[in-house]
Amino acid sequence: MLQFAQFVLMRAAMAVFTLVMVSFIVFSLMEAVPGDCAERYLAFKNTQGSGISVEDIEAERVRLGLDKPFVTRWGVWIVNAFQGDFGISCIIRQDVSQLLGDKFWISLGICLTALFFAYLIAVPVGIISATSKSPWVNHSLRLVSYLGLAIPNFLLALVVILVSIELFGDSLTGLFSKEYRDAPWSWDKFMDFLSRAWLPIFLLGWSATAFALQTVRALMLDEIGKLYVTAAAARGISGSRLLWRYPARHSMGPIINSLGFDLNRIFNELPIVALIMVMTEAGKLLSDALAYSNDQQLAGAIIFLLTASIVFLNFVTDIALALIDPRVRKGMLG
Amino acid sequence: MTDTVEMKQGGVADKAKEAYFTASQGQLIWARFKRNRAAMIAGFALLLMILMGLFAPFLSPYNPTIAGIDKDYRNGPPQMPMFCDQNGCSLRPFLHTLERKRSLTTLRWETTVNTEKRRYVQFFVPGWEYRVGAFGIDLPGRSFDFTSRGLAFDTHLFGIEEGGIHIFGTDGTGKDVFSRTLHAIWTSLAVGTLGVFIAFVLALIIGGIAGYYGGWIDSILQMVTDAVRTVPQIPLFMALAAFIPDEWSSETRFFFISIILGLVGWPTLARRVRTHLLTERSQEYVLAAQLCGASSSHVIRRHLLPSFTSYIIVDLMISFPYMVRTETALSFIGLGLKDPVNSLGALLQNVSKADVLKNYQWEAIPVIFFVALVLAFVFVGDGLRDAADPYSKSKK
Repeated sequence: MLQFAQFVLMRAAMAVFTLVMVSFIVFSLMEAVPGDCAERYLAFKNTQGSGISVEDIEAERVRLGLDKPFVTRWGVWIVNAFQGDFGISCIIRQDVSQLLGDKFWISLGICLTALFFAYLIAVPVGIISATSKSPWVNHSLRLVSYLGLAIPNFLLALVVILVSIELFGDSLTGLFSKEYRDAPWSWDKFMDFLSRAWLPIFLLGWSATAFALQTVRALMLDEIGKLYVTAAAARGISGSRLLWRYPARHSMGPIINSLGFDLNRIFNELPIVALIMVMTEAGKLLSDALAYSNDQQLAGAIIFLLTASIVFLNFVTDIALALIDPRVRKGMLG
Repeated sequence: MTDTVEMKQGGVADKAKEAYFTASQGQLIWARFKRNRAAMIAGFALLLMILMGLFAPFLSPYNPTIAGIDKDYRNGPPQMPMFCDQNGCSLRPFLHTLERKRSLTTLRWETTVNTEKRRYVQFFVPGWEYRVGAFGIDLPGRSFDFTSRGLAFDTHLFGIEEGGIHIFGTDGTGKDVFSRTLHAIWTSLAVGTLGVFIAFVLALIIGGIAGYYGGWIDSILQMVTDAVRTVPQIPLFMALAAFIPDEWSSETRFFFISIILGLVGWPTLARRVRTHLLTERSQEYVLAAQLCGASSSHVIRRHLLPSFTSYIIVDLMISFPYMVRTETALSFIGLGLKDPVNSLGALLQNVSKADVLKNYQWEAIPVIFFVALVLAFVFVGDGLRDAADPYSKSKK
């Protein structure tokens, strides 16, 4: 038990270390954007009619703490970031965490749901296809996985929009209907959300499913050929019982391990899908902040939060793996 | 005993066997690759597309970058040259003549097809001028600027007597979609190549150091690599692409994008380089060479590198479609290469408008080429991977 706690602590420490490193990358990026907050803030004032001087900018820098060395500012930023405070966006002049608020959680929810469905489909189909001897199953599966790569979700999204315009006269974009957009959360709003969210979830899950399918199949193929499976078959276990109790359980480990990278992949697709599907409530904020308005605080916060969710998922899967897999548990407990 | 068996089988099998045992690694890989039919087909398709991109200026009848090259034929449907019509057949393909006149009732320009008047397709016709070997570097600052003017040509594979020939139709500004597609293939390949090259150099340095020294240097470099790997690439790329000032020229943009692609894409490759090095370093043949008194430079040159290059080529091949895809996705959302430049992403962006999707579907023809390009790379990459793995024979 003590050793387990030690293991968890160790993993947590590594996760925090990764986050600190990521925050360094993100913070350096934010700093590299030409023009700091003080200049932008006063440039805004300048357009309002009040003249500004170099001294004003310097004074503003001191007020915002921008005159301090890089490492100090990074330290302050990271300490605040861990408390969920990402400072104030200099372009929108609003609190970043307030600005993100629900939107981040909605995006994360959509991505995690896509991931969940991807594996819900990929695990059984992958296992069945690994045992199937039919070349047709194998060929079509390979084709599906290749198409997952070759038809990127933005193309798929375009096709879906085209079809839905033709069929329903509605482009199915956006996450909420008009009447619920600004309404507080309620059961009706939630149902409305679900009735529209399936499409982005499908688009995000599309290539994730294709990749997961290939992973599951490859792992199962590796495990099925092993001796313990033959031994179990020799003891008289057969059919799906053999499959699910022996090789499937073994290949679960690497699959759980790959969850973090799959979430990473889905995050990669999120801004693009969000842009096409006009998901103002979710990822679109991200693409706006990152690409068009050059809003360094917001962009930094978003990238940090996305990475933090991946790191957190990796941490959780590591722990889960230690609980599920006796080999890892044994190795850990000595 | 084996001798007698071989004697009976005769000379042919003997020769094949000898060829097998004396074949170089490259020959073995090629022999295995040839047996993979899907990969071979994909390889031909890939080669074809690369050639199409390479000879794009020669193959395309119109300059793809000039808007309004055909003012009278905006959003025009594809014109396929034909051999036969109701007036009989001809060996030389031809098109019917389009006539535009202002309608007296609606006062709009209306285009009608005059099926009586034929326009014949001409081959090797002079057209817009292009340069072969023209190369210029125009980075911010003066010191690295370099221009070579190259040789000017104006011969094109085909053209038509009077009027236009647009076999893939035209887009909203009257640009020829066929010409644009060919040039776009080349641009996308070039961005991908440069990106893969930069990522590869970084990966080789970082992964090489980690794999060669091992120990704590390896652990630290691995931690850094893993940390970079956890950051989602496209959001990171979007943040980086936001640095591109609008006034940059398209060439500068192109280089910058490729550099970012490389900077963002190295961790996966670096990890693989490291793993290769670590496993190969402890192989018995390396130990044997060392025991024979080989110097470490000899071991690296004669044993490690050859064992390694085929895997690296495969890795590069596999990471290529991801680069092309990322570039396309970025250009698609308007962050990568922009409209006057012909990249597949920029062309796809054009298609994303609902109006275009509904009425002018031929502008989506580049999509087919994009899908084909990525699929070809994936198939060839997979085929090469299987071919380069000497133990893959057991698996079918």
